[in-house]
This record gives sequence, C-alpha cells and structure tokens, in this order.
Amino acid sequence: MPKTNASQQNKDERQLILIVEDEFVSREILKMSIEREYDVLLAENGKQALEHIGASGDQLSLILLDLNLPDMHGVDILNMINEKEEIHRIPVIVLTADKEAEVECLDIGAADFIPKPYPDIKIIQARIRHTIELFEKRVIIGQTEFDELTGLYNREFFYLYAERSDAHNRENLMDAIVIDINHFHMINERYGRDFSDEVLKRIGNRLRDLTSETGGLACRRDADQFMLYCPHLDDYEKVLGMLSEGISGEGNAENTVRLRMGVYPEADKSIDIERRFDRAKLAADSVKSNYTMPIGEYDNELNEKNLYREQLIVDFPEALEQEQFKVYYQPKFDIRGEKPVLCSAEALVRWIHPEYGFINPGAFISTFESSGLINRLDNYVWRAAAKQIREWSDRLGAVVPVSVSVNVSRVDLFDPDICNTLKGIVEEYGISQEQILLEITESAYSEDSKHIIDTVHRLRSEGFRVEMDDFGTGYSSLNMLTSLPIDALKLDMQFIRTAFTEGGDTGMIAIVIEIAEMLGVPVIAEGVETEEQLNALKEMGCDIAQGYYFSKPVPAEEFEKFLADR
Amino acid sequence: MITIEKLNEYGADTKDGLARCLGMEEFYLKLVNTMIADENFGKLDAAIEDGDVKKAFEAAHALKGTLGNLSITPLLDPVVEMTERFRHAEEMVDVSDILPQYKDALERFRALAE
Repeated sequence: MPKTNASQQNKDERQLILIVEDEFVSREILKMSIEREYDVLLAENGKQALEHIGASGDQLSLILLDLNLPDMHGVDILNMINEKEEIHRIPVIVLTADKEAEVECLDIGAADFIPKPYPDIKIIQARIRHTIELFEKRVIIGQTEFDELTGLYNREFFYLYAERSDAHNRENLMDAIVIDINHFHMINERYGRDFSDEVLKRIGNRLRDLTSETGGLACRRDADQFMLYCPHLDDYEKVLGMLSEGISGEGNAENTVRLRMGVYPEADKSIDIERRFDRAKLAADSVKSNYTMPIGEYDNELNEKNLYREQLIVDFPEALEQEQFKVYYQPKFDIRGEKPVLCSAEALVRWIHPEYGFINPGAFISTFESSGLINRLDNYVWRAAAKQIREWSDRLGAVVPVSVSVNVSRVDLFDPDICNTLKGIVEEYGISQEQILLEITESAYSEDSKHIIDTVHRLRSEGFRVEMDDFGTGYSSLNMLTSLPIDALKLDMQFIRTAFTEGGDTGMIAIVIEIAEMLGVPVIAEGVETEEQLNALKEMGCDIAQGYYFSKPVPAEEFEKFLADR
Repeated sequence: MITIEKLNEYGADTKDGLARCLGMEEFYLKLVNTMIADENFGKLDAAIEDGDVKKAFEAAHALKGTLGNLSITPLLDPVVEMTERFRHAEEMVDVSDILPQYKDALERFRALAE
C-alpha cells in the first residue's frame, strides 16, 4: 500500500533538501551533486539553518548537516530537530570528516552520514534517496497518512502534500477535483456495508491508476467523497468514465453506482489549498441532482452564486432587525360549495433587500435551512402572522375569525422549545391555537421520523393543527401515513401542474384525495391556476384550493379586501 | 591561472577531485581557485603562532574537508596530519616537523594561480 503512494508522490514533486555547511567548497560540491534531482536550500551557519528549518520545516525532506559550524555545533541542531514534534520526522544526514563522529551521530539520531572527503557522487545520491524513502515509510507507519480502506491519502496529508507539491512546482497548472458518489447512504443501506466498501476501494484503485499516469495526488475526503489534485486535464468525462469502470453495473440498472465530479480547473494557487477544494466541492454540489450532466465546473458564475448565498447569510441579522422581511398572504378557499369561500391564508415570506430588491424565498430558504438561520426567520414570520391576525380581528371585528397557516421547517422541529415558543406567541397576541395552522413538509417526516412525529404529537395536544405540506414529494409509506398526526393534506403544486399539462393524468390526485378521505382529513390543493383545474379538483372531491387563479400572495393591506368581501 | 595541467604537475589528484564535480572542469577549477584565498590558511597560521590548539584544530579540520574534496593532495597530507595531532590536544602540540612541508605546498599551490 505505501509503495504506490510513494510513487504517486514522486511524480510531480521535487523534494526539498537543506544543506548546512560553512565551507564554500564542500557546500558547492554537494549542491551541484544533488540539485538536478532535488530543490536545495543553503545555510552557511547554524543560525541560517534554524531560520530555514523554521520557515520551511514542513517542506523539508532531508537535512545535510555539517557538524563543525562557526556559530554552533551541528549536534545541537540535531538534538533540536529530534526534540521538536513538528520537525522530528525530517531525516538528517551528517557530513563529517571524522571517523569517530560518525557513530556518535547515528547514536543521537542522525539517519546516516556522508564522510569527507566525499565518496563517489553516486554513493551520496543513493544515501540521500534511501534515507528519504526510509523516513517517508516510517512516517507512514507511524502516523497513518492513509485512509485504511482505500489506501489513498487521508485529507490532512493530502492537503499537506498538495501544498508541498505546489511549493516545488509553482508554474504547473493544476486541477482541483472532487468526486462524489450519488446517494451513497442509499447504496449502503440497500446493498450493505461490504458492497459499498468494495465500491470505495475500486474508486480508490482507479484514482491510483490515474495518478500514476497523470501525476498528482488523490485522497478520500469523507465517507463517499474523493479529492484529486493533478496536472490540468482536458477530458473530464473520460476521467469520470474511468473512475466509474466496474462500479456502474455495466447495464445492470439494479446496482448502478453513479459518480459526480466537481472540477476547479487550473486552480488559483494564490488561494489556500482547502479553499480550492471547497470550490471543487461547490461545483460537485451544483450537479447534485443532475443525472445527465454529472460534471460541474467551478467558474465565476458559480462563485457569484455562492458569494450571493454567503452575502444573504451575512445580511440576515440586519435584515431581521430592519424588518426587510415582509410577510405576504395567499388566500385559501373552501371549494366544496357552489362558490369558493375564503377560509384562511398562507403566510409566505419575501425579502425586500436594500441592494438586490425583491427576493423570492426560493433563493434563500434552503440557504437558511442549511445554515441554521431558518429558525429565527420562521420565528419572525410566526410572530408577524400572529400580530396580523390580532390586528385584523381588532380592526375588522369578530365577524372575521381569520386563520393563517405558517411554515414550520424540519429544523424548527428539532428545537425542544418549539411548543412553548408557539404557545407563547399565541398567548402574547391573544389569539387561539386554531388560528395558527402549522404547515410541515412531508419530507420532514421521513428523516428521523420518530422524533418529528413525537414533536408533532405534542403540538397537536397543545391544540395546534398541522397540515402536511408538499404531500407526494416525500416518501411516506402508506403504513406510516395512518399513524401520522395530521389535520390536512396539502397536495404538492407539482401534482397539479403535471396532471393538467398535455398528456397528464389526474389519477394521482384522485388517489391522494382518497387517502385523505380514509384519514378523515381535508385535502388542500395549491398552485391552482385555471378554472379548468379548479373544476376538476372540485369534482374529484378536493376541499380547499389556493393559487394564482384566486390570487398571488399579497401584502397584508391587500389581503384585507378578501376579508372585507367575505 | 590555475589549470588541470598545472594541478597535475603540482601533484593534485585531479581525476579524483573532478569525479566529485561530475567531471565539470570549470566548476572544479572555480572551487580550487576559491581555495587560494581561503581564510582558514591564515587562521591556522595565527592559531599555531598564538598557541591556540582549539582554533588550530578548527582551521585544520575545515581545510581537511575542503582540500580533501578537491583532492589537493600535496596540501591535504600535512593538513590531515596536523588535524589529527591537534584533535585531542589540551595544549598546543609540536608540529614543527610538518610545517615546512605544509608551507612549501601552500606556496606552490598559490603560485599556480599566477
């Protein structure tokens, strides 16, 4: 295992050797004899030697050390190197004209010695080569530079060697590449650990084959991710094809493992190596659900998108404080009777950004979900909605008992305080639990469902009503559905869209409506845009509808006209 | 100007010295030239005169390394001998028997550069 990695490393990396020798002639001969193969640093005295070790210690592969220096004894330098954790891995070959000193040096930790006058240059070169190899192996054994399963470098050492390689080859154009396995956890679950380990091993072997051909380094980054740092490639599809060989099932769709790749071509060496791979990762994530184009390239556009997202996160606290988030209301109508009757509204957040203007939630909700900010935003919306209900009730009187549904994200449900928070809001604005409907997306139930279901049970026992949002997009089993604590099913907009396009089929909607009937809960259809859709839904027995056919989401003032009409 | 011929005449083992320099004559001669003005010769003389055996050892030891690497044998031999005598000495030891050979070799070596 270590062998292949050693060769992997030698391909593109000139090792760095420090020569510490005060005598000009001896220094020059040594330098001349190794500089073809290695990069060389020179020190004329102990002070310079220590400076070099301090500045480049992590890149040094070897130190050639004369013992008789004008300002200190080489033995002291040797001792210092042996004692310092960060550098004691650097082998030292002592240069000495004294037979006696040779043994002494080996005793105190020198790896080898070169006598003076120097022996044949070839002997010097061989001793240097052997020493470096030996110590690299020693480090390998002692510090597990490698991922046990694949034999590739682990992340830390990968970055270390990539940096070293850069230090030696500033001009080379290098690609930073991240390789990801799609739905690895599913593969793991479906085919078992042995199978997925085999997949990882095969990818590891392919990467090794690749780097032995092209040069460069590879590592296993995470469970199902690999990184490749190699001289610029032209044909990434070919590389992906090669990596997928033997794991893609060869036409047998049953065990198809699909890889995706993020490439940061000709990565900018002026930025940190880890950031370069962050960019490659970003590119890999940009093709996450794109099966036809499994290779993403990092470019400025992607960078800008990412920067935009980062900016939104940075801007969030101020936006919250300055109330840049506006809550809009989209009316929901009861369509069971002859004429649709307003029954409630869905609160939807919009961001009026001072620089970017009107931002749709699609652009920031998922960002806030992954960064954990969603909790604060949802809280803000809940309060705003409660406050609005209070205001409408006060102003328009008891004739309009309005209820508003709000979104509760999966992240919120992990907040142990969520029940108290919602109860607190309801009490603070003097409204009832029935007036705040909670929309929880179906997919939230499928992840850690027990915890989620328990929380939803608690919310319902406190008097809140829960609507299952985006129904049909998650993966609830029919069996699970019957035990779910819900008060309404909300059909995903996509169902309506697909069902009513040419060649579409309303069969699925009918099934969902039947399920709702069986559960004894109403069905809410969102995304209703035409009269035709409305009539069809009515006929199938849908209870409530919302969508552009009735109204787009509007500011609170505009929504009042619906209340007044009622 | 120092040449390979002159060095051979002088008695240096240029074949050996050149081998250490991968046969590069120019590089080898450049290094030999720097030896003409090597400060360790002066240091050695002064240390012997002052009776400072420690400094004398340091200078001789340094010369041993470089002369050896260049295979300037006529100078190397007396320097090696002196180095060994100085090595474990507490006080200055008598090297008067070697000095004439050393001084003669040094003089002839320096003359090569003229």
